[in-house]
Amino acid sequence: MHTFIISLKRELRRLFYEGQSRYLVLTTLGLVFCYVFFLTLMDEGQPQRLPIAIVDKDGSYLSRRLCHEINACQGVRVVDVYSSHTAARMAMQRQEIYAFLEIPAGTYNDVLSFTRPHLVLYSNNAYLLSGALSYRTLATISNLASGAVQREVLRKKGFNESQIMGLIQPIELDTHLISNPTANYQPYVLTTMLPGMLGLFVLLLTVYMVGKERKDGTLADWLAPGTLPALLGKLAPYTLWFSCLGILGNLVLFGWCHFELHGSFLLVALFTIGLVAAMQSTAVFLAAVIPDAHLSTCFAAIYGTLAFTMSGFSYPVPSMPPALQGFSLLFPLRHYYMAVSRISLFGAGFDLCYWQAIALLVFLLTGLAGGLMMSRQVKSLPQSQNAV
Amino acid sequence: MKLIKDIWDVYIIELRRVLQDKGVILIFFIATLIYPLIFGAIYKNELVRNLPVAVVDESRSDASRRFIHKLDATPELCVDYHCPSMAEARRLMQQRSINGIVLFPKDYDERLARKETARVCLFCDMSSFLYYRGVLSAANTVLLDELQDIELQRYSLAGITGEGADELVKPIPYDDVKLYSPAGGFTSFLVPALLVLVIHQTLFLGIGILFGTTREDRRTLRVVPAHLRSEGRPRVVVGRALAYLLLYVPVVAVDLVLMPRLFDLPHIGRLTDLCLFLLPFMLATIFFCMTAGSFVRERDTGIVTCIFFSIVLLFLSGAIWPQGNMPAFWRTVSFLFPSTHGIQGFIRINTMGATLAQVRFEYLMLWLQTALYFVTSCLCLRFAKEYRIG
Repeated sequence: MHTFIISLKRELRRLFYEGQSRYLVLTTLGLVFCYVFFLTLMDEGQPQRLPIAIVDKDGSYLSRRLCHEINACQGVRVVDVYSSHTAARMAMQRQEIYAFLEIPAGTYNDVLSFTRPHLVLYSNNAYLLSGALSYRTLATISNLASGAVQREVLRKKGFNESQIMGLIQPIELDTHLISNPTANYQPYVLTTMLPGMLGLFVLLLTVYMVGKERKDGTLADWLAPGTLPALLGKLAPYTLWFSCLGILGNLVLFGWCHFELHGSFLLVALFTIGLVAAMQSTAVFLAAVIPDAHLSTCFAAIYGTLAFTMSGFSYPVPSMPPALQGFSLLFPLRHYYMAVSRISLFGAGFDLCYWQAIALLVFLLTGLAGGLMMSRQVKSLPQSQNAV
Repeated sequence: MKLIKDIWDVYIIELRRVLQDKGVILIFFIATLIYPLIFGAIYKNELVRNLPVAVVDESRSDASRRFIHKLDATPELCVDYHCPSMAEARRLMQQRSINGIVLFPKDYDERLARKETARVCLFCDMSSFLYYRGVLSAANTVLLDELQDIELQRYSLAGITGEGADELVKPIPYDDVKLYSPAGGFTSFLVPALLVLVIHQTLFLGIGILFGTTREDRRTLRVVPAHLRSEGRPRVVVGRALAYLLLYVPVVAVDLVLMPRLFDLPHIGRLTDLCLFLLPFMLATIFFCMTAGSFVRERDTGIVTCIFFSIVLLFLSGAIWPQGNMPAFWRTVSFLFPSTHGIQGFIRINTMGATLAQVRFEYLMLWLQTALYFVTSCLCLRFAKEYRIG
């Protein structure tokens, strides 16, 4: 305990009197920027009023009506009506529209004479989100148009309304989007990405700090009270600070922004602390394994950015090549995502995420291993080099 | 002649400086190769296939079983679990063993038999956009197929048969054409943006490190030829930019031309258009990085800033979140970075086959940025330490 306090005092002195607080302030500001940036950038939740166009070769009452109906959907907005396919395709390539509906000539006549006109829906898949959303709206409207014609015909044939509904809609799909009924894009992305940013900053800052000890030649001085107290003393102030920031960040997400949280916030907070501690440990390990400060920062940067991809919140891990799937376990963010998505979306308790907790604890061991490694490195150096 | 000679001198000095710095070589030539390969490997499978779902079949009827078989037959889904109750399915969902639940209520079959509207409940895992999209699109495909079968039966019972019934089932059919990436793959959508970002960010990092090292080490005298220190600032900037540009020609060729072909990403653009577009992109990026690099005091802060901005720039580029749906403020901010226009232009030319005329706005903006950042990098040089000492 005594050695821990010595170490802690040493770190606080370095932090406040030797100008290292600059990095802490910068990191904190960076994190605050991330929260503000991502929450304001995607404040629509789901992109609304995406620009689309109609290629109206028919120019009839029906085609105009379709156009109005489409425009009335909140997902899209008809920005232009073209008379040729090429014009619409060119507009698509200029990125003025994300999709267009082509209504061939004679559509109205064909509907009246019951000879099935053929609509064509073009959507831009180079932009996955906007393309998929605008396609979905157009497809819905086209299906509804079919339904409207069916209803008219059946009415004329003398069926009553309830019979008609049974005929044209024998099955309805009752879709429940668990914990995100409006398919808001923010909870998908931000509940993992912002803690990921926190983890990334913690990783880089810790690697930098350990590297600085090495650069300044104070490694031996730092590790003198014993490996474990030295590690704890050095890291504890940051664990505390970044855990508070992380928990505050999660309060913003789940409290202020009302992202659904079915499980307990305490568990989420525990995993946030776990993520911070795991990232710190990984950083110590990296800094110990790669003694060159520049190189270890480079490596931490690559590892830290890959964490976003490998956590699987954007592209699912089971869809990656099998060889890479195991690789994903090496990233604390992966375990954080697996645990917190269970807690927040499905209300899971600790009984369903203890494996993730254990995994994060295992990462702490790597930090200890890194510390021990550095202690040995120090001992193997001649005394004169340590004293600098 | 003097002008060319000066530029040439700076160019040679800068080239030597780059090739002597291991860290910069690592970033310029190794990272630009490794990153695309890693992303190519991670996203190799493009699509999400065989998502596990659970079925709770309370109706236990012929009709529900047919629906389940069809669900299982879709490429997106795989019916892995048949649960006797919702509680069990929910438990599986909490364990994240499944990505969706399909529930057939008790009266599913009865309602179909009574020619009423039957109901199927679908519960989607919302922890990833791709899960949601996969489950929903598979369920909709099966639903439309089932609808047609059942409608045909009902019409024939109602006395409408043959061609008439076919026409009535789908009076206005539609085809969908998914342009530029027919399968809607994740790789074809994200990797092109990442490729451009890798070029942008490695340049930023490399140049930042070069500038930061100069400051750290105060290796002032070797950096700029003595007679250029007061007058020929633009010559120094041009000479350096030329060095980076020529070093990056093979890198860009590999990353933006070869990689899309290697990973079978869409590449329908004309090569001449692409090259013409990439020239201002490279120039704007280099001058931008030379400006921003002047503020890098140490190597390591450069790395941290770069990583931080990579993620921000990716979202600002409009490749993920549509540009038109960003708040005006961020949209304006995004115009300051060459990466935004570079990513937009590259996606459109390379993935969507646009001509240079169709990316006019981006093209002009990049030239504008080239001019702007050229001036700022000259100005920054004026205040740089290397310039004042010696």
